[in-house]
Amino acid sequence: MDARLRRVNKEIADCKNDKSTNIEIDLIDNSPFHLRGTFEGPQDTPYAGGRFNVDIAIPPTYPFQPPKIRFLTKVYHPNVSSASGAICLDILKDAWSPVLTLKSTLISLQSLLNSPEPDDPQDAEVAKHYLTSRSGFQETARYWAQVYAGAPGAKSGDAIALAGLETAHVDRFESIGFERGKVIDVLRRLNYRGANIAKIPEDKVVEELLKN
Amino acid sequence: MSSDYDYSDEEYDDDEEMLDAEDGEPSTASDEEMDIETDDIKVISKGKKKLYEVEYDPLTQAEVEDLMRGDVENISAIFGVDATAAALLLRHMDWNKDRLIDKYMDNSAAVAAAAGVSPASKASSPGPERPRRSTRSASKTHRKVDPAPQPFVCPICFDDTQVETSELSCGHAFCTGCWNAYVTGKIREEGEHRISCMGEGCGVLAPDNFVLKVLDGDTETAGRYQELLVRNFVASSRNLKFCPYPSCTHAVSCHVASRSSLATVVPTVSCGADPKHKFCFGCPIEGDHRPVLCSVAKMWLQKCRDDSETANWIKTNTKECSKCQSTIEKNGGCNHMTCKKCKWEFCWVCMGPWQEHGTAWYSCNRYDDKTGVSARDAQSASRASLERYLHYYNRWANHEQSAKLSVELYVKTEKKMEEMQLSTALTWIEVQFMKKAVDEVEKCRTTLKWTYAMAYYLEKSNQKELFEDNQRDLEKAVEDLSELLESPIEAETIPTLRQKVTDKTVYVQKRNEIMLEDTAQGYEEGRWKWNTPVEGYD
Repeated sequence: MDARLRRVNKEIADCKNDKSTNIEIDLIDNSPFHLRGTFEGPQDTPYAGGRFNVDIAIPPTYPFQPPKIRFLTKVYHPNVSSASGAICLDILKDAWSPVLTLKSTLISLQSLLNSPEPDDPQDAEVAKHYLTSRSGFQETARYWAQVYAGAPGAKSGDAIALAGLETAHVDRFESIGFERGKVIDVLRRLNYRGANIAKIPEDKVVEELLKN
Repeated sequence: MSSDYDYSDEEYDDDEEMLDAEDGEPSTASDEEMDIETDDIKVISKGKKKLYEVEYDPLTQAEVEDLMRGDVENISAIFGVDATAAALLLRHMDWNKDRLIDKYMDNSAAVAAAAGVSPASKASSPGPERPRRSTRSASKTHRKVDPAPQPFVCPICFDDTQVETSELSCGHAFCTGCWNAYVTGKIREEGEHRISCMGEGCGVLAPDNFVLKVLDGDTETAGRYQELLVRNFVASSRNLKFCPYPSCTHAVSCHVASRSSLATVVPTVSCGADPKHKFCFGCPIEGDHRPVLCSVAKMWLQKCRDDSETANWIKTNTKECSKCQSTIEKNGGCNHMTCKKCKWEFCWVCMGPWQEHGTAWYSCNRYDDKTGVSARDAQSASRASLERYLHYYNRWANHEQSAKLSVELYVKTEKKMEEMQLSTALTWIEVQFMKKAVDEVEKCRTTLKWTYAMAYYLEKSNQKELFEDNQRDLEKAVEDLSELLESPIEAETIPTLRQKVTDKTVYVQKRNEIMLEDTAQGYEEGRWKWNTPVEGYD
């Protein structure tokens, strides 16, 4: 049997037999080389209680090259792209070792949620939010987990909260006569949060709003 | 008819010597002493070597490999380690032998660990609990002959039927099949010569003999591996450089390219594979940029990339405000301009102040008015610098274009040479003068091209005038020769044409040498003054 197939089959079976980690690996279509991994958000983090899905593509050179993994569930995290789900993690790149497994990789992703690395960000805007206002970031990350990952207290998405902004700020610029969606977009890009607000003059916001 | 290549007119009395020198050119470096001790040799004006040439050694890939092997053997003997370990140590220190010796003598264990020769330290080694063999050898392959109570299961492919395992000095054992797949992938997919152990976080590197063993006779991948090693060696060595021409595997060894010497020398070298493979050892420019210094050439190319099109556009489409010299594009409206920056109101047609136009709105017939003239003077002064740049740029670009067209000229010339052989009694060897002339023209155009870059940055002085005299003489000679080459061939005029072309070729060659020699000498004497700060030049 093909060494890659044998290895992937064994990894899937091992994961099924191991009930302790609460990590699942399922086939997406009928190929064992395209999988969906599922794990829980770590306790004591904004992600706690959510279940996160990742898309796993096994390259032909696996396990000598790392699997290609991205989040299917939207995640608010400095090292995960909030748009595409792409992940910035060393073991998925040059620090990959063939002795690592899908399970150990998913555990690493779980601990990435626990300990963000904002200095090596995948999503610069989220990283800025994290560095500007830790509590604001956690609130937004929590809100995303509730909306997208089914964390307790599930809510339907509110655009302002998803962008990590305050309703009062958005209202203020909306009242000047700008469209709500645009205001949210610009304020998010400018990182209009916490202590940063004092550094952004109103003119600057209006200028950005007028730009396109 | 006079004999071939008989140039001995009084005018060119030193031709013989010159031609000799030219013949010997590619080997000048090799037949002189190549001792590496003299680290910072500047141009040495002994023997036949010209002032504007540098000493260098063209190397084939095999010769580069010999150099590499020499370094490895040297270190291996000094440290008393085997050659593969010495190679890993050298690669770790970027082939800097002195630094390696210093550091290794200081703390051999730490250096060996950092270089991936041996496991980092016993305590933090993440290896599985297997009996560790205390052996100095870096690699080991062993067959499991005695039936072990538990069969070996490779932690990568989970195969328990494999009997042959391999491990590096760290003791992480994997089946040889997995090693093969891993090493092949690293070399072929990633182009990586640093192949670390497959164990998680293990920094031990596979030595060459281990790599070759697990490749198990895959000569193609082994060849690629060797190539990667050579590339790393050349890239790490300050006095080695690969020929930049596509698919050329030759390299050049040159010892003059230290930072300080680049302020006086233009190290043009040739890899020896093809006379056209000329490049600069001191900078990434893929060609001969004599007589201009590397830093000046770089500055010029950068300026051309940034400016030439923009400058042309600005020249044709804009004017400057007659007060604050801001560049203004008029994109509609009347001739009453108000500068956005200084609020100065002026007339677009005569450039004079608007107040004087009184009620003559939308039209201007006051061209000769005094204030209008002085405003246009100020404008033209600011245009002058643009014009100056374009003057040099256009000539530079023109010679570059002409040099590129020389390919076509070659084809044409070859046809002419054939015609000559058919229509006259001349033999193939006797019509070579045409080819030689085309070669010379191309060479000189390259020189001329760069003289314009140089002239742009030279400060106005008597020295610059002398420089431009030399430039003019060379340019004139080159254009004359080009014209001769283009002239139609008629059977009866061939002998005279031949004489003319041959004479002119020698003359052009001589002018080119004078140009290069004089600039090189100028660098040595510090004669050239730049009108802008030049990196590494005071």
